[in-house]
Amino acid sequence: MQKQNAILTAAIKPSKNDAMETQVYHQLNMSEKCNVEVPSKILLVDDEKEFVQTLSERLRMRDMGTAVVYDGNSALAQIQRDEPEVMIIDLKMPGIDGMELLKQVKQTCPRIQVIVMTGHGSEQDKKKCMDLGAFSYMQKPVDINLLSESLKKAYKKIKAVE
Amino acid sequence: MKQLQKLKPASWDHRDSASNHLNTGFNFARKWKLIVLFTSFMALLPLFVMSLVEFGLTHRTIEDEVKSSISKLLNAAIVSISFSKDPGKTAMDYITLINSGEDNDIFVVNEDGTLLTTSFYYGNTGTPNAVNTSLFKEKAGIEKDLTPDKKPVMAGYARIPDSSLFFVLAKSEKGLIDLWFKPRFKLIGYLAVSIVLILLSIMGMATYLVGRIHSADRKRSEALHHAEHEKKLASIGRLASGVAHEINNPLAIINQKTGLIMDLFTLREDFSSDKRLISLAKDVLDTVKRCSTITQRLLDFARHMEPSIEPVDIWEVVKQVLAFLEKEADRRRITISIDNKDTIPNFECDKGSLQQIFLNLIENAFTAMEDGGQLSISIRLKKRDQISIMVSDNGRGIADEDIDKIFEPFYSSKNDHWGSGLGLSIIYGLIKEIGGDITVKSRLGKGSCFTVILPLKNSEASDGTK
Ligand SMILES: Nc1ncnc2c1ncn2[C@@H]1O[C@H](COP(=O)(O)OP(=O)(O)OP(=O)(O)O)[C@@H](O)[C@H]1O
Ligand SMILES: [Mg+2]
Repeated sequence: MQKQNAILTAAIKPSKNDAMETQVYHQLNMSEKCNVEVPSKILLVDDEKEFVQTLSERLRMRDMGTAVVYDGNSALAQIQRDEPEVMIIDLKMPGIDGMELLKQVKQTCPRIQVIVMTGHGSEQDKKKCMDLGAFSYMQKPVDINLLSESLKKAYKKIKAVE
Repeated sequence: MKQLQKLKPASWDHRDSASNHLNTGFNFARKWKLIVLFTSFMALLPLFVMSLVEFGLTHRTIEDEVKSSISKLLNAAIVSISFSKDPGKTAMDYITLINSGEDNDIFVVNEDGTLLTTSFYYGNTGTPNAVNTSLFKEKAGIEKDLTPDKKPVMAGYARIPDSSLFFVLAKSEKGLIDLWFKPRFKLIGYLAVSIVLILLSIMGMATYLVGRIHSADRKRSEALHHAEHEKKLASIGRLASGVAHEINNPLAIINQKTGLIMDLFTLREDFSSDKRLISLAKDVLDTVKRCSTITQRLLDFARHMEPSIEPVDIWEVVKQVLAFLEKEADRRRITISIDNKDTIPNFECDKGSLQQIFLNLIENAFTAMEDGGQLSISIRLKKRDQISIMVSDNGRGIADEDIDKIFEPFYSSKNDHWGSGLGLSIIYGLIKEIGGDITVKSRLGKGSCFTVILPLKNSEASDGTK
């Protein structure tokens, strides 16, 4: 029952949490124990606010903890503050673009798994990203189930390393 | 008449299409006429001038000769009359001796102009004022005169000594021209023949030259047309990929928002019972998927990716594609004939691109044909390291005015709505990337034939990609 309530509040007033979202990896079902199969710290980086907020909410509904930032710099800052397990980043962003961000993340914290998600689906970009060490490369608009699968796999990879 | 037809340049009848379709702004018929007129004039002018000069010269010589013969005759007459004891009889003898009517009309006239003997030109004996007396300016001379019938004659006169009578000897001028003309008859024949020959060869040359110019001009404007078409397609490609990128983002938002709605519905009991709402949301998601297929194909059209180049056996590719379409062909009783007389060596190419090319061409042919149609595929080895792939069908064909449009994205005559109109534009992009070319020949109601030229050596293929 508590879980249901939490979902409802989140669904009806998602914006209330916005200000805090950049600080903490939120999870809707805080009361329950963390799901062992999904990552609890996901950082979403995308300048498309509507998109990324909705996505983060849907991921939270699937028992994952998420945080949202809208550009590369705040993403780097967020990593400093609290290192995420998985990052989902867009390629085309103002300031530091996705490719650059991916490079820096992989240099500083290679443990973080990065999923690249973009509306620009050229094979060249894909190859470049994979070479830079991205975990996977997805084409927008992405199917949530596919994304969840990918996130689970990424999490498994991290656990395997540890 | 047929021979004459040959002299007429082919561009003559082509004028309309040349000026309308290809827009050359060049009137070939007029050019041809101008060239023929000008060269004919220049070639024939000296001929005519020479003939005229010669005519003048001969004319004068003959005239002089005639004059001298006239005056000799008259002098002889006068001399013998003045020494004669019976001048009247001598004169009459003379007249009967020389007078031969038309050529030598000799007669006697008194100073009033009254004829004393019969004249061929001026009338019978006794005709008063038959000869204009103003003719007789001196004792003797030769003048040009008009007879009463308005015939030009050369009239020589001489006063008979010790009398007021004149001897007149008239010769027709026409005879003079005949004198010039007759010996030159053959020459003039040659002249006419050579004029005809010159004119014919000028016309032939002009036809040939104008024909060459015309065909060169046509080739040039066709090339221009082709280049323009290619540029247009390239810019459409850039535009298309830009649009696809931009549309993908809002699509992603719609996708997520609808997904969230679905999540909420499935998780909350009071909504989850409402099957209609869920199916509506599903419809939205399906539509988003459809849109994303289109944007994905648009991106394919303009893609700049490194194809995975490997040696391929082209017949192998054809077989794979046909295996894929076999069922449909069977169902629709379409016969597929394959011409594989030439053995095509394996060549470096992206297999995926080749598959796409064949798949799209054959699919299009299937769509264009009725059940029981006939599709033929032939691959030929051409000189200069090229192969030409021909996919032809006997379907409904393409109208002339649509032929330029079929390679554009979104041009389609299909009625269903699944990603239509991108097939040919995508393979156009692929073929250009490989360094080949695609052309189409089609007749409405008869069928179409798509020809793809591919280089066997993949030389500049990857130039387009950074
Ligand atoms: N073999 C053919 N015979 C007659 N018309 C053709 C043929 N091939 C192509 N066309 C014409 O060209 C149009 C464009 O073809 P294209 O492959 O680009 O798109 P499509 O087949 O309509 O859709 P899609 O391939 O995206 O499903 C077709 O709709 C059709 O009108
Ligand atoms: Mg097609």
